[in-house]
Amino acid sequence: MIEVSHLTKRYRDIVAVDDLSFTVQKGEIVGFLGPNGAGKSTTMRILTGFVPASEGTAKVAGFDVFEEPLEVKRRIGYMPENPPVHDALTARAYLRFCAELKGLPRRAIPGEIERVATLTAVTSVLSRVIGNLSKGYKQRVGLAQALLGSPEVLVLDEPTVGLDPLQIREVRELVKGLAGKHTVILSTHILPEVAMTCQKVLVVNRGRLVDFDTLDGLIAKHLPGRRVTLDDIAFLEEIYGKLLNAPSALQAPEPAAAGAR
Amino acid sequence: MRAALAIAKKELNVYFTTPIAYVTFMVVTFFAAQFFNGSLDAYRFITLRALQMQSQQALQAMNLTDMVVGRLFGSIGIFIVIAAPFLSMRLLAEEKRSRTFELLMTAPVRPWQIVLGKYLAALVLILASVALVALFPAFLSFFARGSAGGAGIEWQTVGTGLLGLFLLGAMAMAVGLFVSALTESVIVAALVSLIVLLALWVATIFTIGVEGPVKDLTAALSASEHLAGFLSGRIELKDVAYYLSFVALGLYLTDRAVEGHRWA
Repeated sequence: MIEVSHLTKRYRDIVAVDDLSFTVQKGEIVGFLGPNGAGKSTTMRILTGFVPASEGTAKVAGFDVFEEPLEVKRRIGYMPENPPVHDALTARAYLRFCAELKGLPRRAIPGEIERVATLTAVTSVLSRVIGNLSKGYKQRVGLAQALLGSPEVLVLDEPTVGLDPLQIREVRELVKGLAGKHTVILSTHILPEVAMTCQKVLVVNRGRLVDFDTLDGLIAKHLPGRRVTLDDIAFLEEIYGKLLNAPSALQAPEPAAAGAR
Repeated sequence: MRAALAIAKKELNVYFTTPIAYVTFMVVTFFAAQFFNGSLDAYRFITLRALQMQSQQALQAMNLTDMVVGRLFGSIGIFIVIAAPFLSMRLLAEEKRSRTFELLMTAPVRPWQIVLGKYLAALVLILASVALVALFPAFLSFFARGSAGGAGIEWQTVGTGLLGLFLLGAMAMAVGLFVSALTESVIVAALVSLIVLLALWVATIFTIGVEGPVKDLTAALSASEHLAGFLSGRIELKDVAYYLSFVALGLYLTDRAVEGHRWA
C-alpha cells in the first residue's frame, strides 16, 4: 500500500530524512517511532504530498506521491502534528468544509460528519466554535477530519498528544479498530502506544531507518530468550534504547536492519 | 469547481463570523457618508450662489450626478484601495501561520481551485462594499428631481461608476491575494499590498513636472487615472483592460506561488 524507496529530504545542509526505504502492506498499523527531530513528521509530509522529497520516491496505492498527487491525496486521511483547524468556525462547519474539500457526495456529508464525530467523541462540541475548545477536543476534531470519507490510508502525526489518559485510551482503541480496513501510519514517541496499537514498528533515528519489524520480531532479535508479554512495556524501552545507540546496534548481527539499509 | 466553492464559502463564513468584514464595511460607509454630506453641501452652496447671481448658465450646467455622486465615488476609490489589503491579508498568510495550509495542500484539490475559491470570497466582499456605497445615490434619488421633472440622478453614470469601483476592488484583491501567498505574516501581507496599491493609485505624483513618455507611462499605470473614465460615465476598453490585467496577473502569480509550495 505504501512503498517508500531511498527517500531523502534535505533542508539546505540539514538532512531530515536520509535514504529511507520501507513498505507497508494493506491493512497494517505501523508505528513510526523515534526521538524528536528523527524525521517522522517530514516523512509523513512527503507521503501526503505537502513537501517534496529531495531524492527517492514514495508511492501510495501504486501512485507516485509527486507525479500523481491528486490520486494519492484522495486516498489519504492526514492529521498533521498541529491540528489544522480553523478557530473561527464551529466544529460542524469545519468538518463540512473538509468533507466538501475531499469531494464527498453532498448528501452523504451530514451522515459522515455524525459518523466521524461519534468515532472521535466530539458529538457534544459540534456546534461550538473550535477556537473555544480545549486542546484535546481540537486534537480530536483534527482526527475526525482525517477519518472523513474512510480513506484507505491514514497518516496520523502524534494523534494522542494533548489528550488526557482516558481519551488516549479511546483514541488507541479507535486506531486499533481501523486495522484491516485501513492502512495506518502513526508517529509517536510514546512507547506504550506502539505496543498497544501497532502491529509493526518502524524505528528511525536522525533520518535513518534503524529497524522495521513486528513487535515479536523485535523482541526475538534484540532480547533473545526473554519472555515478555505486550502488556509489559519495559522491554520496548530497552529495545528502543539499544536501537538508538546506533553504533552498537549496527555492530550487532541484524540481518533485517542491514538489509533495509 | 466544487472545491473552489467550498473554499469560498468557508472564507465568507470566517469573514462574517469574525469582525473583519463588518469593520471594513463600517470604515467604507462612514467615510462615504462624510464625503456624501460634504459634496451635497457643496452642491447646495454653489446652487445658492448661482441663484443669487441669477446666472441661468451656471444653473443649467449644474449636474447632481457629476457633482455629488461622481465626487463621492472618486473619494471612495482611495478607501477601497486602503480597505482591500486588510480584507485580503489573511486569505493565504493566515492559513500558513495557523498550519491549516497543510490541510488545503494535502486535500485532493489543485492550486488553482484554492486560488479561485479565495478570490471568489474576496470578490463577494468587494461587491458588498460597492453595494453599500450604491446606497448613497439611491437615497439621493428619492429627493432629487431633474429640472424637466424627470429623475434627478443619471443612473447610467452611477452604474459605470459602480462598475469602476468594483473593478478597482477586484484589482486590489488580486494584488493582495498574491502578496498574501508570499508571507506567513498577515501584517506584512497588509502593509506590502497597501504600499503597492497606494503607489499605483498615486503613480502620477512620481512624475510631477516631467513631460513626455515617462509621464504618459505613470499616467497609464495609475489606478486612479483609469477610474476617471468610469466616473464620468464612460466604459473604455483601456480602463477595463487595465484592471482585468492586474486581476489576471495577480491570480496567475498566486497560483504559481501556491503550486511552488509543492516543490520546496
